[in-house]
Amino acid sequence: MNIAVCVCQVPDTASVIGFVDGLIDLSRVNEVMNPYDEYALEEAVRLKELFTGSVVTVFSIAPASAKEMLRKALAMGADRAILLNDAVLSDPYQTAVALSRALVAFYADTLPDLVFCGKQSTDFQSAQVPAMLAELLGMGAVTGICSLHASSEGLQVERETEGGVESFDVHYPALFSTEKGLNIPRKTSIKSVMEARKKTIDLFSPSLDEASYVVMTGMKPLDRKKRCQFLSDEKELIRLLREERNLF
Amino acid sequence: MAMNKYLVFLEQREGIVKKASIELWNTLQKLVAVHEDIAVCALLAGAADLQLLQATLVGEGAVYCASDHGFSLYNPECYANLVADTFKREACSALFFADTILSRELAPKLSVRLKAALLSGSPVFDAAGVDSGSVRPVYSGSALASFHSDRSLRIYTISSFPIITPTPSRVHIDFIPLQQRCSVSGEELFPLIRMMTMRDGIQDVTEAGIIIAGGRGVGGADGFALLEQLALLLGGVVGASRPAVDEGWRPHSEQIGQTGRTVAPALYLACGISGSVQHLAGIGSAGLVVAINSDCHAPIFDVADYGIVGDAPLVLRKLIDAVQDFLKKK
Repeated sequence: MNIAVCVCQVPDTASVIGFVDGLIDLSRVNEVMNPYDEYALEEAVRLKELFTGSVVTVFSIAPASAKEMLRKALAMGADRAILLNDAVLSDPYQTAVALSRALVAFYADTLPDLVFCGKQSTDFQSAQVPAMLAELLGMGAVTGICSLHASSEGLQVERETEGGVESFDVHYPALFSTEKGLNIPRKTSIKSVMEARKKTIDLFSPSLDEASYVVMTGMKPLDRKKRCQFLSDEKELIRLLREERNLF
Repeated sequence: MAMNKYLVFLEQREGIVKKASIELWNTLQKLVAVHEDIAVCALLAGAADLQLLQATLVGEGAVYCASDHGFSLYNPECYANLVADTFKREACSALFFADTILSRELAPKLSVRLKAALLSGSPVFDAAGVDSGSVRPVYSGSALASFHSDRSLRIYTISSFPIITPTPSRVHIDFIPLQQRCSVSGEELFPLIRMMTMRDGIQDVTEAGIIIAGGRGVGGADGFALLEQLALLLGGVVGASRPAVDEGWRPHSEQIGQTGRTVAPALYLACGISGSVQHLAGIGSAGLVVAINSDCHAPIFDVADYGIVGDAPLVLRKLIDAVQDFLKKK
């Protein structure tokens, strides 16, 4: 079984995103694998362990410095990694087009059996690339899955929706984007890190003749600060909520 | 000036149209009320209670109702075909979805299919009422980014709105049945919903008007009984911060924040939640924020309207007593 996993880099949760002279300052940012992509990779590796002979290939559009992240992906159990060496694309449509072309080129015009992506990146949070990629590839897709059961004939997946759970029957080939709760990504061991060094990271240059659909025109600090009125009496709070704000 | 026609996707679940979809229609109607060149129509996929819907929609326009039972449950291919067909037939320039789990899957699919730009967050309208982009928080809510597209067709998944006045006075809505059925060629290739299991009687945090949320300061799974009691009294629901979910005190479906749900209640009561950037990313659209925390320097107080410094369970007990007193006097 051929399994493709798309991963990207994001600032880790401890990173400080600040502004200097009105421009975003990413100098104090430590880049890591997008947490949702770890669920995607973990699920792919588990399926590889289930279906012998499977090959997991990781694809990432990132600068050359992302090799370190790809080494981690290989240490987690991926067989090879493809780095689409380019400036990070901020338009999800362009990202999806570049990924779809890389997949088509890599798999020589056949589709992989499964494609996994994280539900969204934690920096831009657009959550658009997975479903766009599936449409470009002509594959069925379920986004934000929190449960997956695979057999050689097909798959059953679940996702949490507002107020409930949806269960889907899915045929190969298919694309899934992964939500927290699907699995617990494994930690890499010294042995797996050593083994990862023997695996290959290939560089591809994506062809990008597609115009972007959306451009980011500006970014400014988001100030959510309010002036908090401290109260010492619970009755007073309830009176305010009820009589002045009419909330219940 | 050319006419701009907006299509609103009315999302139903079990025959009830989502509140967020109705708000979307009603807000866009405010543009129709002041701009002659803006028109709005809507598409309802699946049978729904039309009387209930009629009572909540304002303004004017057509609501196309595709009530074939095949549309009752979400089907990615059928829904995509139906929306794309309606969008083209009505010669719309922009398609609006409420930001939901469903639209986050369907909108990107349609973006590729219709070659339309996909924008999300809060839409931006120019002086003529024509949509021109969107703004939304990025980097866990540390920054607000503006997005723009030059494409002639646009799709939006809307999580909040700019303030638009006035409210339309006229109400003239036509419900027009569509004969289109849910059928797809090569259907067996695409995912099909086998079943949908709803949690009974509990409103989802994303749709709740009042949320009583708890964090590590609640102390444990038992402590959440107090939050449930208060939620019941106020007609709200219980939410949780990431630590409370990671500890196993509450289910992931209740998690609010960057790795959970984004909520927009009229009242958000944060109990024993310190207010990390990741948590605050999920409550940016909340109306009134009340914080209870034992640490008066907790960042949650920076975004709160009212605050009480104290041990969460202790304060909650007093709050419950106070609410019960008020309700008795009613």
